Amino acid sequence: MLKYIVKRIVEIIPILIVVSILTFLFIHLIPGDPARLVAGKDATLEEVDNVRKSLGLDKPVVVQYFNFMKNLVTGDLGTSLTTGLPVIDMFKTRFMPSIYLTFLSMFWATIMGLFIGIFSAINKNKWPDYLGMITAVSGISLPGFWLGLILIQVFSVSLGILPTGGLDGLSSYILPSITLGAGIMSMIARFTRSSMLETMQSDYVRTGRAKGLKERTVILQHALRNSLISVVTVAGLQFGFLLGGSVVVETVFSFPGMGRLLIDSISFRDYPVIQSSILLFAVEFILVSLIVDILYTVLNPKIQLNT
Amino acid sequence: MKGIKNFIFLFAMIFVLAACTNDDSTDPVNEPTKEPTNSSTAGDNNKSTSEKAQELVIAVNENFISMDPHNTGDTNSNSVQSAMMEGLLGFDAEGQIIKVLAEDYTISEDTLTYVFKLKQGVTFHDGAAFNAEAVKTNIERITNDKSLRLYSRGFNLVNSIEILGDYEIKVTISEPYGPMVTRFASAKMISPKVIKESSDQIPKSPVGTGPYKFSKWVQGDYLSIERFDGYWGGNDRVEKITFKPVSENGSRVAMLKTGEAHAIYPVPAQNQEELSKAKDVTVNSVPSTIARYVSLNTFKKPLDDIRVRQAFNYAVDKDAFLKVVNSGLGEPLDSIITSKTIYYKKQQLYNQDIEKAKALLADAGYADGLEIEIWGNTNSDTMKGMQFIQQQLKQIGVKVEIKSMEEATLSDEIYGAQTPEEAKLKMWYVSWSAYASDVTNATKPLFHSVSFPPNSANTAYYNNPETDKMMDEANSISDEARKTELYANLQDVIYKDAPWIFLGVDEILYGVRSNVSGVIVNPGGGLDVANAKIN
Repeated sequence: MLKYIVKRIVEIIPILIVVSILTFLFIHLIPGDPARLVAGKDATLEEVDNVRKSLGLDKPVVVQYFNFMKNLVTGDLGTSLTTGLPVIDMFKTRFMPSIYLTFLSMFWATIMGLFIGIFSAINKNKWPDYLGMITAVSGISLPGFWLGLILIQVFSVSLGILPTGGLDGLSSYILPSITLGAGIMSMIARFTRSSMLETMQSDYVRTGRAKGLKERTVILQHALRNSLISVVTVAGLQFGFLLGGSVVVETVFSFPGMGRLLIDSISFRDYPVIQSSILLFAVEFILVSLIVDILYTVLNPKIQLNT
Repeated sequence: MKGIKNFIFLFAMIFVLAACTNDDSTDPVNEPTKEPTNSSTAGDNNKSTSEKAQELVIAVNENFISMDPHNTGDTNSNSVQSAMMEGLLGFDAEGQIIKVLAEDYTISEDTLTYVFKLKQGVTFHDGAAFNAEAVKTNIERITNDKSLRLYSRGFNLVNSIEILGDYEIKVTISEPYGPMVTRFASAKMISPKVIKESSDQIPKSPVGTGPYKFSKWVQGDYLSIERFDGYWGGNDRVEKITFKPVSENGSRVAMLKTGEAHAIYPVPAQNQEELSKAKDVTVNSVPSTIARYVSLNTFKKPLDDIRVRQAFNYAVDKDAFLKVVNSGLGEPLDSIITSKTIYYKKQQLYNQDIEKAKALLADAGYADGLEIEIWGNTNSDTMKGMQFIQQQLKQIGVKVEIKSMEEATLSDEIYGAQTPEEAKLKMWYVSWSAYASDVTNATKPLFHSVSFPPNSANTAYYNNPETDKMMDEANSISDEARKTELYANLQDVIYKDAPWIFLGVDEILYGVRSNVSGVIVNPGGGLDVANAKIN
């Protein structure tokens, strides 16, 4: 297992190099001159040129790329073009809140999703099934910003029990995590349900029942365990997306996370921040898929990790 | 079963970890003081007025970019800086120039020499003395570092800085430059100790002479400042102010309602009525220097014909524009500059007259109408504005095609053209704001022939040697009477030439809780919290 993990981590390096080259090329290809944006629309050409030189943007793209990579090796992510602050400092305050928010959203979404999914499956076509699936469909259909604003109206403005946004203790995570997790919860519920239904039709479940095993044992030990493999895949993928994709939620709740930072940086064409954020998201994504692979073997030891 | 247990255990651990370490999650970028933030939540809303009376929370719509006052382009950063740092001169509530750290100042007749007598007994937050030497260090920083925004804003013309005494300094510039006084007002003084020893800290944690000193900045979350008890202007103000960037309009409004924020800026126009009805909340409005217009490319057909441009102006109902696009706020733009801008002269408004507009178009050879593109960014208000123009011009047979582009792409499309011939721009729905005290910035970048893109923002490619001459002369003299005359003529000529569809002037809305006083917004959009109090 350890050998496998080390191998996977080493494999990350070439992937990151490719990702870094592609991002660097893409962000330089899209229209938009950071020097002009930093200098402002009332800036003169001379001022824009001064800014361009001071930011090192007058150098060829290849040189800029190598400078970026050279600094990256020493742990220096560069300096933001817009704020003039080291990118690492900007990440420090935003990375962990984003991670916690993602974990918290995933945590409750997984528990709730599994619960609703299992409950719906074992009560197929009865009212608990309909209730569960209505909840799931609602969770996936409500736009994040709308759900967020409704939650603010109810819990902050009307009831006054939770903050409207910002980051001030654990209570600040509650509404954003509900908003962010709603969609995932629904997806997990639906996958769990269909996967459970499918598994419950299979021979080994029938055999289990024929052997006289308790229904609870059949469902939890046999059906659920095998159903979980596809659920873990979906959850893992969603988790990866969540890490960088919580822009809407972060905006509604003025949550200081990575998603908003990336979007702001793209609108300013802040190359060092965009480049570093995307690399960070790539690392996270790869690590999450590694964890998913490991979870497969935990769930079903017959699945061998290819070392 | 063991697998499931492991699975749930893993998540539970992560959850516990997240919950436990939550408060450390916001390692601040800069933290001179170790105390935690005190911003109130809705939950402790009721006790907030008594226990936390000395902390004011202000929610603004955008993030702060930098705390370096010599390199700031955005209004929000500038507002926070103004509470911490002061210039030799500054701005009053109307946006006009006042003396701040300068006891007095004189400008030579040729407008080349500026002599400042400085206030005595002023110290920076780090204990450094404010004197002529400190001013010299600051102006030298701006004039030597070409990457600073202020360098190109007049300070690139500085020839010499001479210390005349401990509290007297003379600055000479190489050529007359009208807005130099405004430039001095925006050049805030930073502690010379910081400039010399740790200039890399300036964008993160500035040190000035202002009524508040820097406390803590958690990027993207909040920035707080504390009262500076050694301030030369007394101490009758709130102890601490926390600024929070909250870009979502609905959330900002909710914060004011719950009392989580004592003031919010701006109040979205569509929420004005709702907030006015809310308990303990007041919505204030300020006429701004933000002009809204559609820039018409006077270099290209069909807009090279003055009759077409005037027809466009006569086709648009300005009051309807304010109602539809600006939620009924603001006033029609009745000159090339706003009424709050110095040397403003009201013009005869292009009142909507469809028949006249049609006649002008027919006269210009477009009796059957024409097709034209309008550009703008993807902002929803811009979209609404462009659709309004489309609907209005349709009445005179002009078919407008809307092309909305993300801001950076739009900027590239406009400033990418090296010559007027290359420009593809026909009409641009946009706004401009300048300091109320700076008529040069409200005119030269927009109407002077040297300001064609990419040089500057004359996107109407307005080219008139007569008005160029007026601007050049007005910019180089100190004779007030002559200046007033020149700017009056300039407004007469350009307004008639109609290089824009003149639309409206914005009104700025901001909301405060009724127990708060001293939070004001000036016409340029800057927040002034220097005298903020919670009663």
